[in-house]
Amino acid sequence: MNRRKSSGMERKMSRQYLVLVLPGFLIFTIGLIIPLFLSFRYSLTDWDGMSAEMKFVGLQNYVKLFHDKEFLESFWFTVKFTIGNTIIQNICALLFALALDSGIKAQKFYRAAFFIPCLISAVIVGFVWLKLYSNVLPEINTWLGTNINFLLFGDADTVLGGLLIANNWQWIGYWMLIYLAGLQSVPAELYEAARVDGAGPIKRFFNVTIPMLAPAITICVVGITIGSLKVYDLLISSTKGGPGRASTSMIYQTYTTAINGRQYGYGSAMTVTLVIMLLLVALIQVKGLKKKEVQA
Amino acid sequence: MALLKRKNKNSEEIPSTPYTKTTLITQIIMTIIAVLFLSPLAMILNYSFKTKKELYLNSPLALPEALQFDNYVKAFDKLNMQTTFVNTLFYTAASVLILALLCGTTAWAIARGKGKFFKFSYIYFIVGILIPYQALFLPIYTIGYKLNLTNTRHGIIFMYVATGISFGVFLMNSFMSTVPLELEESARIDGCSVFRTYFTVVLPLLKPAMATLIIMQSFQIWNDYLLASLYVSKKQLKTLTVAIQSLFSAQTSDYTTAMAAIVISVLPIAILFLSLQKYFIKGMTVGAVKG
Repeated sequence: MNRRKSSGMERKMSRQYLVLVLPGFLIFTIGLIIPLFLSFRYSLTDWDGMSAEMKFVGLQNYVKLFHDKEFLESFWFTVKFTIGNTIIQNICALLFALALDSGIKAQKFYRAAFFIPCLISAVIVGFVWLKLYSNVLPEINTWLGTNINFLLFGDADTVLGGLLIANNWQWIGYWMLIYLAGLQSVPAELYEAARVDGAGPIKRFFNVTIPMLAPAITICVVGITIGSLKVYDLLISSTKGGPGRASTSMIYQTYTTAINGRQYGYGSAMTVTLVIMLLLVALIQVKGLKKKEVQA
Repeated sequence: MALLKRKNKNSEEIPSTPYTKTTLITQIIMTIIAVLFLSPLAMILNYSFKTKKELYLNSPLALPEALQFDNYVKAFDKLNMQTTFVNTLFYTAASVLILALLCGTTAWAIARGKGKFFKFSYIYFIVGILIPYQALFLPIYTIGYKLNLTNTRHGIIFMYVATGISFGVFLMNSFMSTVPLELEESARIDGCSVFRTYFTVVLPLLKPAMATLIIMQSFQIWNDYLLASLYVSKKQLKTLTVAIQSLFSAQTSDYTTAMAAIVISVLPIAILFLSLQKYFIKGMTVGAVKG
């Protein structure tokens, strides 16, 4: 009697929980998951995005993709930008967090100084660095009588470096905050114990700090990778994909192809490729990093 | 709770750490880096007060000759601020409000509900974090067009909610372990429904999580360019970031007005961050530790 009553109660609660999940579930499905499948469907057609006609072309768009020099260029630019960001941003964010956690005074001031840039739109960041490189920094040459090339956005060889500086300026503070939060939750006893065991600062860092930071490292590595693969806003107000096509990212290329070039089906194939890339990279990273977490 | 205790112990120890030579060197290096980080911001402020004449004749590093707000007045006009500012504020506030409501309840129900559907939902939402909406901008635009969501206020708000929800659910979900189950159970014994339990017991305990969510989503929506530029083409529905981008491409030589526009657009988010900073830092701590 009692049991039946409680299971009836549980069913009622389960239904109420379901009511709470459903609205979000539906909005998410309509806004993101259905578009994902739409994209796949359109990628198998030659639709131009406007007309009523569309022809099924099978995997032809994908075959074309792998011979498209412009697309491959945008692919490599995005990959280089992502690898550069993941390495620089992680190392700098972790170093900054360690420095802030080392007992220096006015920790709050530094935290705010590094964090504020990420509150600014990437469109604005791109424009600000464009002006810095072209108008403000060259003044240093006049002052010091040096001849440093600050026009990083003007040359195909330096544009990647220039964008990496701008992007890292914007995001290091954000990831630093996550590392800082991770550092501050490492129990002090662990360091004590390691010190008693005779471990030096370097050994303590690799045997205590890094393993304890493992969850934060996973979040930062995956987050920075995804954030870099989707780069677009930063480019439109700074390099516009140039000079030439040297800084055209995959999304930028998709936009040009599908919206300006009216090749919607072909652009959808690019979208699907990027999505597969995102999922694959995240899966590999999470798997690899989680393994390390378990070992620790 | 255990986490908070640990944190306290840790922070108690900070004063006892001796301020050594290494600390001093670290402090000096970090100060130099912080000044470098702040200098682009100083440059924005500096330019926003310069006149066009100063821009061409004086050194780029020189301070403005007089404090004048001409650029701000011009920026206000050029950005069509009375429309774009209100629009952006409305889109951001409405989306964030809906997100705060939805993500909290969804994450809590997923954490507490028993059964396959809830487990599946969690993984389902995670997929959304791994695929940022920018990657899907093309079909998102198409579906918006098909459902008549483009060029409407509710359409763009709907999309901000749809694209922000997965991160929000993930974030709130990692906080659910900080809500003690006993409290929920005693509320239930008192006869509270699931809904009332959430609003009277759970929600008040989620303050740091909510602050984190509000800040993160606010600055993302406020700063968004791609979705706003795709969904809105009508002048009276445009957002600030889209208006700023058109200002940038129109005014490449005289950019003092653009710099003033930047200050105006960053200010609201900076104020929000500074006022919620305390909770935000606490929220990030729990989120990062939980993974």
